[in-house]
Amino acid sequence: MTKKFTLTPYFFLVPAVAAIAVFVLYPIFAVVYYSFTDYSIVTPPIWVGLRNYQQLFHDSIFWKALEHSFIYLLVTPTLIILSMVLAIIVNRKLPGISAFRAVFFIPVISGSIAVGIAWRLMLDTNGIINGILLAVGALKEPIQWLAEPALTLPLCMLLTVWLGAGYYMMIFLAGLQNIPEELYDAAVIDGCSSWQKHWYVSIPGLRPQITFVAVISSLAALQVFNEVFTLTGGLGGILQSGYTVVYYLWQQAFRLSHAGKASAIAMVLLVITLLFSVMNIRLLESGTEAEA
Amino acid sequence: MRNKLFILLVLVSVVLASCGTATPAPQAIPSPVTVIQQVVVTPTPGPNPEAVIPNVEANATVTFWTFWLSPTFDQYIKDTIARFNQAYPGVTVKWEDHQATFQDDLKAAFAAGNAPDVINLSVGEGWVSDYATQGLLLPLDKAVPQSVKDVYFPGLWSEQLVNGQNFQFPWYNFVAVDLINTQIYTGTPSKDASGNTVYTGGAGLNTADFPKTTDGIPALCATIKQKTGTLCDIRLTVNDLLSQMVYEGNVKVLSDDGKTFTFNSPEGVAWLQMYVDMVKAGTVDKTVLLADQDRDSLNLFETGKAAFYQTGPNLIRDVRANNPGLYGYLAVVPAPVGKSGVGGKGGMGISVNAKTKYPNAAIALAQFFTNPTSMVAFSKLVSVYPSSPSAYDDPFFSAPSAAIEDSAKPAAKDYISKLADIVPAVPNKADVNAIVLKHIQDALFNNVSAQAALDAAVAEANALIK
Repeated sequence: MTKKFTLTPYFFLVPAVAAIAVFVLYPIFAVVYYSFTDYSIVTPPIWVGLRNYQQLFHDSIFWKALEHSFIYLLVTPTLIILSMVLAIIVNRKLPGISAFRAVFFIPVISGSIAVGIAWRLMLDTNGIINGILLAVGALKEPIQWLAEPALTLPLCMLLTVWLGAGYYMMIFLAGLQNIPEELYDAAVIDGCSSWQKHWYVSIPGLRPQITFVAVISSLAALQVFNEVFTLTGGLGGILQSGYTVVYYLWQQAFRLSHAGKASAIAMVLLVITLLFSVMNIRLLESGTEAEA
Repeated sequence: MRNKLFILLVLVSVVLASCGTATPAPQAIPSPVTVIQQVVVTPTPGPNPEAVIPNVEANATVTFWTFWLSPTFDQYIKDTIARFNQAYPGVTVKWEDHQATFQDDLKAAFAAGNAPDVINLSVGEGWVSDYATQGLLLPLDKAVPQSVKDVYFPGLWSEQLVNGQNFQFPWYNFVAVDLINTQIYTGTPSKDASGNTVYTGGAGLNTADFPKTTDGIPALCATIKQKTGTLCDIRLTVNDLLSQMVYEGNVKVLSDDGKTFTFNSPEGVAWLQMYVDMVKAGTVDKTVLLADQDRDSLNLFETGKAAFYQTGPNLIRDVRANNPGLYGYLAVVPAPVGKSGVGGKGGMGISVNAKTKYPNAAIALAQFFTNPTSMVAFSKLVSVYPSSPSAYDDPFFSAPSAAIEDSAKPAAKDYISKLADIVPAVPNKADVNAIVLKHIQDALFNNVSAQAALDAAVAEANALIK
């Protein structure tokens, strides 16, 4: 029986395609175009060819921001390990365990901006962190946490981990609950300790979730902005210590009105994140194939 | 017969008496009667004295953006617009207030081609020249009658000039003061055994001795740190460092031909070294020193953890709202003046979009909000000060001040009359400022000498404008 060709399904797709074309594809093409122009947002763009990319290549601040973005990727393994541990802990049938799951999830729904502002207040020279440390005698003088260049990026990364751990915990929790109980029974019969059960059963069983978390969290790390902006009060950290690629892009576009250069930064970031995602997926999935 | 004759005589007499006029009795002369006749005259309406801009387009609709005035001043804005409509009937005003995202909203509006006709821009932050250099604002020198220009203080009319042209109506101004937290600065008063007032818990300083010039600040901060452990709440104007150099350090930032930056002079080095010394001495809060927004500095003061904070008296209401306990311990002193001897620039201005469809209506609205009547009304609501000498003739400015918010009022006219924009128009100002900010951080936090830092900044800035 031959299927009669009909346009009806395509008409149902048109609204979604139109929305994607307008809100995703058009901005991407526009940014590609702007990256070859001198564009201040308030005046029309002027074609300058590769000048923006050449400037980026010689821009020491851009390379510093890129370096910080790669350092920021350290949150990925941290989040994977921490979230997995939390998921294993809350994956128990204990009374009240749901409350713990909810508590760990609260940072996820709190909003990064609000949490960032709260952390900025806590880390202030006169904030509660210094207050507690001074009270217990751990400090003689308050530390200006957010004014120490060496601490800016680690504090931003700590905030990212705090915000994201609950979300990834839920992903791993769902994965753990899909692992057949018989595998754990077999491991017990084989004489595995608790630790070995998780090493030989849980972690291999969570490989798809690990791949997913690795890709998503590393993309988020490369594109971090909210934590840097809120903790540094918009300055980006003393001596550019909190500059990341997206922060630098924002500064070029909206502080200095160099939307052309910012678009070039966006293009570089796009290429990096694409390469990174492909690498991530291939590395992790090749591990899965090897096991199979 | 006789009887008939007699009767006839009587009848005739009667007839004659009734018909004839007796000798009239003299009539009384009527007394004059004053007749009050009301004549209702409908006066022909004269020109509205506030309608000073001619040829305002009929049926114009102008949009007006203000910066962070709503909701506190909603009624004032609406009342002023209503008065404006009496002076210029037929012009419709659409008012919007934008706050934290004002600059982003405005740039997006210019990009989209629907920027407002009339725009409230900060003179103090240099926004007027930022937009004027990009050809986005209407030059006003030729568009505004001389009699209207003469309403304003000359120093305020000639601010943020670009190529010698003015692009703003000066609006409201601030008198720079320092708010002092007397609990930290002086101490908490109490009576000793002899009944004398003693101060404890503070630095023991007298507010009357607050430095009159900026070079007295480092020593003051050292004293406060030593006696109370409190850091100074001082913020660099990170978005306009060259301006701060000029006012505080009397630094010549640009050569006369405008082609070379010159802020690595001994004056520039001395200015930067002052801040380097304070950072090294640990007497300033480093998170506030380079804060992006002045609000961070205000927030620190409002927590009660700073001895003083430089601002305008208009923000005392913020302190009162957020920390009523601190309000009771506030003192206000004039802010120290820099080596230039000039207190600062004006505060806010109102500019006109270069591409407005209704230039005269837009100019009329901008001028109306900045005229003496409108300004006096605004000054009565909050401690900001007019840009016109005649506004200060209002008895409000000579009335004794009750609240601490009004303590600057008596000296306001003299102070405002001396405000002037002494910063030259800097090419690529935002980029040069970013370069200066980058390099002064090396001096402040990275053990680079002030001279080397400014030399590097000048070299990079000169390469930019070559």
